[in-house]
Order: sequence, then structure tokens, then C-alpha cells
Amino acid sequence: MNQIISGEPQAATGQTLRVIRHTALDRLYHWLMAICVLILMATAFLPILGIKFEWLDIHWVTGVVLAALIVIHIVRALFFQDWRNMWIGREDLHEIWRGLARLFGSRTTPPKPGKYDAAQKLYHLGVAVVVLSVVCSGLLMLLKIDTPLWRRNPYLFSADTWGVIYVIHGMAAMTIVAIVIIHLYFTLMPDSWYMLRAMVRGWISRKEYAQHHDAARWKA
Amino acid sequence: MEFFRYSRSIYGGSNQLIGASWDLLPWFVGAAIAFIVVHALLNALAKHRAQRSS
Repeated sequence: MNQIISGEPQAATGQTLRVIRHTALDRLYHWLMAICVLILMATAFLPILGIKFEWLDIHWVTGVVLAALIVIHIVRALFFQDWRNMWIGREDLHEIWRGLARLFGSRTTPPKPGKYDAAQKLYHLGVAVVVLSVVCSGLLMLLKIDTPLWRRNPYLFSADTWGVIYVIHGMAAMTIVAIVIIHLYFTLMPDSWYMLRAMVRGWISRKEYAQHHDAARWKA
Repeated sequence: MEFFRYSRSIYGGSNQLIGASWDLLPWFVGAAIAFIVVHALLNALAKHRAQRSS
């Protein structure tokens, strides 16, 4: 069993000491969301690419599961977790500026982030906007199909409005494809393997905590 | 390249918007790959500069 020790970072050092980065519930949410997104992408795009199968039932049921997961996540994040960990503040803008300057040749060193760095917060914001767009438009599109829970009512909106809803759903879905590819790239970068391990096993070492994070901005 | 899909209304007249064009999918994939390539190059250059200066 992993030894989980919390407390002041400067009070404890050594490889065996670990800091919890993601609780089991957060990891479960992340991986369930990942499974849902992959199923939704497969059922959306494989038929378009010529691989034909009965995709609609799998797609809408998975979409409803994803919507439920997102509602749970929003409630947890707002009322049971520290939402400020994901808030983009002045220090994050400073971090973005210095990070960009470093990429383009400056010798400046970006400040250490708190629990999440500025790029992760921006990514989360982008994912939130795109996923909420695709889920909300998808929930409206459920009005066009009969299910065991409701009867279809395609006349709720005009044809033009339905067209706009379908455009939002399609554009957001294709954006998610790009987002998933970029997410995989950052996940598999050697520099961020410790974060991948944290998303699987939950912890980072004290050494990684001290190396990558500002203890004043993320008190672990 | 089309940005949107249209169908002709059964009542005739103008074309009806029915969704985003799936022709855009390769462009979204290409944009993601371009982002990765540019980031990887700039990141490698930044690391190289940091190693040289230390």
C-alpha cells in the first residue's frame, strides 16, 4: 500500500514521501470521462469514415452518461473542492507570458505553478467550453429521437435553429478530436510522466512537488 | 472545401442548413498535429539554449 504523508513540504523530504495530487474519486471521474469521450468520438466519426454500424443508441446513451458526469463534476468542484486551483489569476498570466518568452528565445524562467500550471488551466477552460457546447447541443438533439424515456419532438425548434444546433455539435465534436490529440501529446511528453502517474495512482513524490510546484500556491 | 452541410427543403426554395461539414475533420486533425510539431520544435530549442547557457 502506498504511504501517503501530508504536511509542510519543507518538513519532509525523501523519495518515499508522497503528495496526493488526485483523489480516487477525481481519477475515477477523469477516466470515466475519457472512456465516454472515446466512445462518443468512435460512434460519431467511424460511420463518417465509412465504418458502418448501429451507432446512435451507443452515442446518445454515452452522451447522457457524460452529461451526468459533468453535472457531478461541477457540483463537486464548486462545493466540495477548491475551485481556485483551476482559476486563472494574475500570476498565471505572468506565467504564460514568461513561458511564451522562454519558448521564443528569452532566458527568463517561468515561476513555479500551484497545483495546476497556467497551460493546464487554459486547457481546462477550453475543454469546459467545448464539452459544454457539445453536451448541451447533444441534449437538445435528443429531442429528435424516440427513447424509452421520452418521445421525439422535432418541432420544438425551427429548421434553421436545428441547423445551428447541429453546426455547434459538429464543430465542437471536431474540436474535441483536436483537443484529445493535443492532450495525448502533453500526457506522453517525458516531462509530464509524473503527472500521468498521478492520474493513474494519485500521488507525486515530495521531490517532484518541490521541483515543479510552488508550495505557497499549492499547500500539500 | 465546404464549412457547412445543406439539404434542399422538401418545400423547395433555399437550401437548409443541417450541420457542419465533415470535410473539416482532417483540418482539425491537421491543426492539432501542426500545434504539436511547433510546440515540440520550440520546446527542443528552448531546452537546447538552456543546456548551452548552463
